[in-house]
Amino acid sequence: MSRIWRVGLLSATMLAAAPAHAFIAYVSNEKSNTVSVIDTESWTVVKTIKVGQRPRGIDFTRDGKFVMVAVGDDDTIQVIDAKTQAIVDSLPSGPDPELFAQDAAGKVLYVANENDNTVTVIDLEKRVRLGDIQVGVEPEGMTISPDGKTLINTSETTNMAHFIDTATRQIVANVLVDARPRFAEFKHDSSELWISSEIGGTVSIIDPRKHEVIGKVTFEIPGLRKEAIQPVGIGMTKDDKTAFVALGPANRIAVVDTATRKVTKYLLVGQRVWHLAFTPDEKYLLTTNGVSNDVSVIDVAAQKVIKTIQVGELPWGIAIAP
Amino acid sequence: MNLRILLTAALALAMTSGGSRAADPRYPDWPCTQAKVPEISLAAVWAGPALDDVQNSWKDDAKVSALVSKLSARKTPIDEAEKSVKDFLAASATDKTANAKLLFAGLFDTLNAQRSQVMNGLERVSRKQREAADKIREETLQLQALQGTTPRDEAKVEALSNDLIWKTRIFEDRHKVVRFVCEVPTAIDQRLFALGRVIQQEME
Repeated sequence: MSRIWRVGLLSATMLAAAPAHAFIAYVSNEKSNTVSVIDTESWTVVKTIKVGQRPRGIDFTRDGKFVMVAVGDDDTIQVIDAKTQAIVDSLPSGPDPELFAQDAAGKVLYVANENDNTVTVIDLEKRVRLGDIQVGVEPEGMTISPDGKTLINTSETTNMAHFIDTATRQIVANVLVDARPRFAEFKHDSSELWISSEIGGTVSIIDPRKHEVIGKVTFEIPGLRKEAIQPVGIGMTKDDKTAFVALGPANRIAVVDTATRKVTKYLLVGQRVWHLAFTPDEKYLLTTNGVSNDVSVIDVAAQKVIKTIQVGELPWGIAIAP
Repeated sequence: MNLRILLTAALALAMTSGGSRAADPRYPDWPCTQAKVPEISLAAVWAGPALDDVQNSWKDDAKVSALVSKLSARKTPIDEAEKSVKDFLAASATDKTANAKLLFAGLFDTLNAQRSQVMNGLERVSRKQREAADKIREETLQLQALQGTTPRDEAKVEALSNDLIWKTRIFEDRHKVVRFVCEVPTAIDQRLFALGRVIQQEME
């Protein structure tokens, strides 16, 4: 029985592994001040890079040549060369950068500085600061509309999503959402903007043209107190049909049908699941689990957790090479 | 010399006692910066079949209860513990699901109890520390008064200084231990989650 099972598993992994490309994932470990590099073919950590203090927001440049990581306690964004895996430069953010977003062309970077109520605008080619945008108290989540015209910034204290015109750098609208908005994600077709509220325990769905909340995703897990359900990271499939929402200390990822806005499944991943990222072929979804100090790998089609990889302490953000 | 030690001690004391005020008003004795979560809820660590029919029956199974003790002990490295879970369930064949449920129920009860014990201990020490801090403050004032009197009773000053140095040292040592022990509830959470995850994977 168990042998058949093993053979089955073996062939299944071979089937799964054979046509897939190997990708490289970078994970920021907030407490150990490192970045773990994961190879998605072997699903192992192939390198651990020492970075500055309190690394959180992390992303690749659009050309895939560099990885940027916000090191909040060092008040800067470090630039890692993806080839040599060494730190080669830094970007001029404001104090305590937490998270950032870049435009579709990869030319402009917007940085949320947690301690300073500002968003810093950086020219990514010249690596110089272009200016600042004053936003609400404690800017938190950050994303750019697919057309690049609107920057969304969520504020932890005012519980608002600020819509910023990237051309004039002025706030054009504020939308009230539930308590402590954490993360913002557009549908690829720009029709909806999803914003997670960590304390409110919901995801608000906003019509980005009308600046109105048009729906809400709620979560319920039998046996779990409401306050243990803290939505943070959101990932949307390219066809916009399925969203995955990380639920923090509920230790689960919610799979949401975007048409009905209902949860279809909860996947137990790791403790305090925070952010997530798809592999470019969208076969796998990787999640960072802050308390269990690991990364879970979800098979997107099967909606199943297939692997757990130990990384550094308090893994926070994740970026996968394009 | 003694006075200088004393002053530094009193200063350290003032700083530590001021800085360690509990953040959560519900738990005034909780000394840790980590938030106090009184109990691990089953749903946070278990997405497997309901355990209602298990209750305490894991205690009646000698094999399971022995394994629970071994896996719950912090001295058992987590890798080794995970391997033991796999070996045990692999050998269970037909009653795999039943055994998996028994084992997890045992781990859940035992580790939750272990965690409560640690947290109660932390709060007990925290109350003791508050008393000790009051005592040190009181004696510091006494000592200052003694030092101000003429003629000065050197023997008394000496005795009280020594006593204070000891009390301060014990206070600071405990303070360090508390900070270390504050990590233990999280370590227990991690162990329970990791073992629960292996059990659930083995059941699939």
